[in-house]
Amino acid sequence: MATSEGTRVPEGADHHPEIDWQAAERSPEFQALVRKKRSFVIPGTIFFLSWYFGFVVLAGYAPDFMGREFLTDGLTVGYVLALSQFVMTWVLGAWYLRKSDREFDPLAERAAKVALERGRATNGRVS
Amino acid sequence: MTFFASVNATALTVFGVIVAATLVISWFASKRVNTATDFWAAGRGLTGPQNGFAIAGDYMSAASFLGIAGLIYLFGFDGFLYSVGFLVAFLTVLFLLAERMRNAGKYTIADVLAFRLKQEPARAAAALGTLTVVAFYLIAQMVGAGILIEGLVDIDFSLAVILTGAFMVTYIVLGGMLATSWVQIIKAFLLMTAAVVMTIWVLAKVSWNPIDLFRDARGQSAEGEAYLKPGLFLSSPLDTVSLGLGLVLGTAGLPHILMRFFTVPNAKAARSSVMWAMVLIGAFYVMTTALGFGARAILGQGGEEAAGATGNGALPLLADNLGGELFQAIIAGVAFATILAVVAGLVISASGAVAHDVWSNIVRRGSDSEAEEVWVAKIAALVIGAVAIVIAVIGGEGLNVSFMVGLAFAVAASANFPALLLALTWRRFNTTGAVTGVLVGVISSVALVIISPTVWPGPDSEGGLFSWYDLANPGIISIPLGFIGCWVGTMLAREPAAERMFDELYVRSETGLGAELGTGLTLTGRGSGAEAQAEDQELVGAGRS
Repeated sequence: MATSEGTRVPEGADHHPEIDWQAAERSPEFQALVRKKRSFVIPGTIFFLSWYFGFVVLAGYAPDFMGREFLTDGLTVGYVLALSQFVMTWVLGAWYLRKSDREFDPLAERAAKVALERGRATNGRVS
Repeated sequence: MTFFASVNATALTVFGVIVAATLVISWFASKRVNTATDFWAAGRGLTGPQNGFAIAGDYMSAASFLGIAGLIYLFGFDGFLYSVGFLVAFLTVLFLLAERMRNAGKYTIADVLAFRLKQEPARAAAALGTLTVVAFYLIAQMVGAGILIEGLVDIDFSLAVILTGAFMVTYIVLGGMLATSWVQIIKAFLLMTAAVVMTIWVLAKVSWNPIDLFRDARGQSAEGEAYLKPGLFLSSPLDTVSLGLGLVLGTAGLPHILMRFFTVPNAKAARSSVMWAMVLIGAFYVMTTALGFGARAILGQGGEEAAGATGNGALPLLADNLGGELFQAIIAGVAFATILAVVAGLVISASGAVAHDVWSNIVRRGSDSEAEEVWVAKIAALVIGAVAIVIAVIGGEGLNVSFMVGLAFAVAASANFPALLLALTWRRFNTTGAVTGVLVGVISSVALVIISPTVWPGPDSEGGLFSWYDLANPGIISIPLGFIGCWVGTMLAREPAAERMFDELYVRSETGLGAELGTGLTLTGRGSGAEAQAEDQELVGAGRS
């Protein structure tokens, strides 16, 4: 940030040394947030990457299978699988937003609040 | 070019209206943009839906609008493979980076890397990754714009490129990210409208039965059944997988897309903007099917020559067939707006790398004022624009547009994505790891393309500089190399400061505690958003004016 002399420390985002970040990271509240989030994001990522690469590998190595008729003449297995990628993207995206609003955000708020209170206590300053 | 009828007057009018509208926006924005946060992050005042439209406008380039429809027209199913990769990529962005970038960053992706790593090397590495991606992507778009305008209004290719460059630089110099964002929002709206209208029109021609579209398209193709199967365009299986990998991870390393997350007030708006973008972009790519297969069903084989080798002319031809001269001019105008919005986003991210990362933090070591930083950014935008114009004019129409966009995705996935992801999630990661990772990613992806058959087309189907290497898409090799580069570099050194500071980055990126504030900027004024937000998170007000 610019000071009155017009000089700045060479940095991008501002740091906040008034918070005890190590304690914040170790707090049970933050660990609960991280655990909860990981338990959704990691399986979710593995799932969508597998579904996507399954499709890409089939497109590369099994073109005849992808060209097979699906239910009606003109509609192919490949096209239906491609459309399933769109549905997957929207469903997983909406699911993540819902989880974030209902579960991750309250946990994140709690973790931030605890870190803030502790920061004040250790530094004896009120911002 | 031969794929357009002579529609000079109509087309010029449409282009004129689009340019006038965007210049009015820039002029409005120029009166509002004061601080560096306004210039690079639009004051962090965009709402989730606004940023969602802007992401869609930033992302869907001429390669998406003209290119994919053209590929589907020429090669059938394989064109749609691109659409799928371009969309699924946003799950990578949403799950792994969007909110973390918003919470941890400031103006550029380098801010996230340099948060806990050594300033100069980390910023230099990020700037290299950013500028390499932007260079390939920008020149591709400029060449595309030149071909489009030259074909449509019959002005010289060089002049067309110069005009495109001039408009793009004007938006940025006048209104920074605020102007860029609104140009992108309007473009996304125009593009979606155009796609919906054309889709409905095409479906009306096949009596509203989408399946008939496939049957008719197959009937109009010399390839018959093979037209609805993979393999006509992407004939090497390993290459298809390599392309898929580059697409799905590349978006999460595109600097101009990641920068958009700094324009919203908080992580919640960041994730909702990704959802909006996924709905818009997904709907658009579903419609590319109707446009591409529709072009095949309606134009038949007769349009192949006029559509050109890459098929870029198929969509304007289809528009002419559906609605005549005026409709074709409107579609070409939308394509022009599409390119303008993308190049503006690219140049502002490059100006951030030059002015904020290299000039302000490396050359001046933070001793410059904020006003100087914004001035340098504007000069940088001018220079980058000028360089891009020169290269596009010299390279000319011979440069293959979709090839260069593919290369940009490969570099983004191999260099930027691994370093950013590891900086945010791996405590042990350090400066050496970031620098080696980015260098290995950039060098390997560029080098593999240089020795690829795309650059060394052989006499028969062989090609390539070396007989044992025939991949056109480097991703399957260069992306793992990028990650390995990060890992090896990290293991070569220990950086206790970076590991200690990981706590702050980690907690901040996951909770938003300490994240940068907005200035409440909007296109029409400065709202009270900043104050309300400051009360909301009083900590982050500490140490600020």
